[in-house]
Amino acid sequence: MSRLTRAFRWLRALIGRVSDDEIDEELRFHLAMEADLLERDGMSRDLAVAEARRRFGGVAQHTEELRDVRGGRIMENLLQDMRYALRLTRRFPAFTAIVLLTLGIAIGANTAIFSVVNATLLRPLPFPDGDRLAILYSQNPDKSLPRFSVSYADFLDWRAQTRSFSGMAAVTGTSLTLINDGEPLRLNGQGVTSEYFDVLGVRPERGRLYAAGDEATETASEIIVTYDFWQRQLAGDPNVVGRRLRLGTGQRTIVGVLPRAYDQANPNVDVVTVLDPTAIPNVENHAQHMVGVIARLKPGVTQAAAQADLSAVAARLAEQFPQIVGWSANVFMARDEATRTLRSPLLVLLAAAGLVLLIGCINVVNLLLTRSTLREREVALRQALGAARSRLIGQLLVESGELAVGGALFGLVVAHFVLKLIVSRAPAGLLPTGIALDWQVLVFTLALAVATTLFAGLWPAVAATTPRLAKALRDGGRSSSGGARALRARRMLVVAESSLALVLLVCAGLVIQSLRNILAVDLGFDPARVVTMRVSLPGPRYTDTTQVQFFRNLQSRVEGRAGIEALAAANTPPLSVGGITTNLRLVASARADGGKVMGPVTAITPGYFRTMRIRLLRGRDVSWSDAKPTIVVSQAAANAYWPGESPLGKRVGFGPRDTVGFEVVGVVNDTRARGITVDAPLMTYLSYAGATNVARTMSLVVRGRGDAAAIAATTRAAILEIDRTLPIYNMQPVTQVIDASLGQSRLNTTLLSIFAMVALALAAVGIYGVISYSVTLRQQEIGVRMALGASSNNVLALVLREGGLLAVAGTLVGLVGAYFATGLVQSWLFGIGRADVATIAETAGVLVAIALLASYLPARRASRVDPLVAMRGD
Amino acid sequence: MHPNADVLQGTLDLLILKAVSLEPMHGWGISQRIQQFSSGVLEVNQGSLYPALHRLVKRKWLEASWGTSENNRRARFYKLTAVGRRQLASETDTWRRFSAAVEAVLAVNSAVP
Repeated sequence: MSRLTRAFRWLRALIGRVSDDEIDEELRFHLAMEADLLERDGMSRDLAVAEARRRFGGVAQHTEELRDVRGGRIMENLLQDMRYALRLTRRFPAFTAIVLLTLGIAIGANTAIFSVVNATLLRPLPFPDGDRLAILYSQNPDKSLPRFSVSYADFLDWRAQTRSFSGMAAVTGTSLTLINDGEPLRLNGQGVTSEYFDVLGVRPERGRLYAAGDEATETASEIIVTYDFWQRQLAGDPNVVGRRLRLGTGQRTIVGVLPRAYDQANPNVDVVTVLDPTAIPNVENHAQHMVGVIARLKPGVTQAAAQADLSAVAARLAEQFPQIVGWSANVFMARDEATRTLRSPLLVLLAAAGLVLLIGCINVVNLLLTRSTLREREVALRQALGAARSRLIGQLLVESGELAVGGALFGLVVAHFVLKLIVSRAPAGLLPTGIALDWQVLVFTLALAVATTLFAGLWPAVAATTPRLAKALRDGGRSSSGGARALRARRMLVVAESSLALVLLVCAGLVIQSLRNILAVDLGFDPARVVTMRVSLPGPRYTDTTQVQFFRNLQSRVEGRAGIEALAAANTPPLSVGGITTNLRLVASARADGGKVMGPVTAITPGYFRTMRIRLLRGRDVSWSDAKPTIVVSQAAANAYWPGESPLGKRVGFGPRDTVGFEVVGVVNDTRARGITVDAPLMTYLSYAGATNVARTMSLVVRGRGDAAAIAATTRAAILEIDRTLPIYNMQPVTQVIDASLGQSRLNTTLLSIFAMVALALAAVGIYGVISYSVTLRQQEIGVRMALGASSNNVLALVLREGGLLAVAGTLVGLVGAYFATGLVQSWLFGIGRADVATIAETAGVLVAIALLASYLPARRASRVDPLVAMRGD
Repeated sequence: MHPNADVLQGTLDLLILKAVSLEPMHGWGISQRIQQFSSGVLEVNQGSLYPALHRLVKRKWLEASWGTSENNRRARFYKLTAVGRRQLASETDTWRRFSAAVEAVLAVNSAVP
């Protein structure tokens, strides 16, 4: 494009409105007149035209100042800026790539985590005014039990005496056996008081639900099914209402179907019946903690007010009934309860992602500063030509805005994959299904992009247009004092991002070490090739005696079969968090407490230790032929209960008043029976054989030689041979139980580690950037040093020291940050303190090493420079 | 003053209005007229002149129409409107007061040393 056409185009654009042809014609006239004049002064026609054109061409230089005179063309300016910015991205491809990568990863991580937060913590309960639903618990501060089930008697009094709730309902878990054409199927049921659905505000999908006043006796032949059960088991039968289900020995008619939303809040429920209080033993006893309580706060009543109300009622009851002395009550909002296990890890991950974003923004500021230094001369020139400061800032902001939008788009892609990782790695049931990047998340991402623009774009924009431009022009864009000032600012930025990276590294290091510790825990039993499953023996068909018979029969049948080594049963599955803890009486104990202790108890059949490969240290296993139940204790229990004595022959009573008890016949090694991260409990194993009132639902453990599926199939077949109406469920390898219990901490550790690595990489890029810049600024100095005899190794050390010092400064600041941040992950830690010196030293070492590595490239470049060239500068 | 000094910002409008106050004139003529009036001291750059002309048209101080120039070229002529004439009067007044004030200040300064 010739200078002239360009000038014409500028003027046309400036004048606007009038048609282009008219303007062109007017300007051509001017040119012709100018040429005429020159010709008259004695120039040849050709020369005159050329000179006229030359004079006219100069016009382009003045356009900038004129543009602002015109004003009112914001849109056009914006479009121009955007085109210009796009051209710039092509001019600095590496810069653009790094910025987009940085922003993309930072925004992507935040979007993914926010998607999960959005789908869990921020999602309202699927009930009308769900934020007024509360869950009420019994609580006992002395025993550290903030959430304990409620006695039905307490529930009745709470409902009658509190004033804060518009409704209150009790709910229990029930287990029913559906007899279909084929195999028996165990159903997860809920028994609810009749006002339950009114309290929740649920409307039926089909048929009707229970209404306040319905009694268990009136509804004994009725049942309500969940949407999921309807679809899964009843094939979505449109005529489901009125259909009959054969349950155990009786029948019930389906009167209604719950909406899909109910499954969201209560997953894994199949059917709902009306709670029958007469089925609860000792139902009038206030200490008989059996039910869960859900209540709806009256409009305008706060959680605190409801808590005060309920506490007062509970205190009166505790005075009135001596068996519940020390017990009180808690009001927790249902929504908080639903997300209780997720809240803390998600907030930590959100904070970690936020730190990554912060580091990313600092990096982008740093990169933009570098570029703005490179462009100082251009900016100075444009400002000298009359471009307003606001106009220049606007343009620089548009530039960084484009980068932010690009980063946000790339971030959405990153978020998609991070989210996929989270969902695929999360243990089953932890996260609700259907977590996706939805429009709210999109808004969040765009907000992040805008925030990033303002944060990352404004500073360089202001710095670049600060009025020291005349100097910049004079120095040819290599202003040493301005450069030094920028360098100081950039060093501070790098120290800041290194310190943030260290915070993340320390947290990740601690959490990784914790996971290692957890994986290295000696369980005390061998989980490999053991399959566990639950089986229910329904009464009254099975009595204490026939139940024991059943397991003895099963053991002898299965243990002879191919691929099976051993089979046994216990009333709690391996690694059951919680389990059964009860009052024990150590008979004839010399202890100060008279032998009255609380201890975990598991009922087992003979062969349990053999099956689980728990070693018998002294005495013998329980036996099928024991006339009376016998007891085996763990090593820790033996040491705690009978210190310095042999436990063999001692007796343990059940309940504080049992002074006869059962005989201890053996001692086994300690196991992590209550969860991997829970210290080996003081276990008391009670023989199932010979006991009375035994549990009806037992966990089988089967050790085999082949794969889990084969073991499970063989066992299942044997059970159904004995009784083909028995439901078998929760069938899974014990290793899978372990994996599931570690799933969340594995996921947390993975994500936190990824964030920390990204932070480290970003910090390395930042250090590399600032050291390169510093080397460029000090080129002449380095040249002089080398001319005076400094070796290239000296120069290398000089530059490396600068990078190392930045990292050390970042480390020191970061340690202060880590001191506070590690408090957030403390609950994740296992077998390691939050101030673990080795981990902190290691991570600090990694940071400094990476910093030195990042400084090495510019250092090497500096050390290889030709001193003469460097001194001459340019 | 430097012989080729650019027209002071803000005074260009005044000069243009003055130049066309006697008769309608095309852009080139206006730039020549200003140069002549100022005995060559003031030179109007076309990069400033044409945007200014169009701006004044937009403000309705000038009217533009196509006509034929003295050497038979098609040219765009600018003519002062009534509003423009009033504006010229008031700007002239303002300028005189301003330059008198500057004059006075300079006189004081030169008396001091």
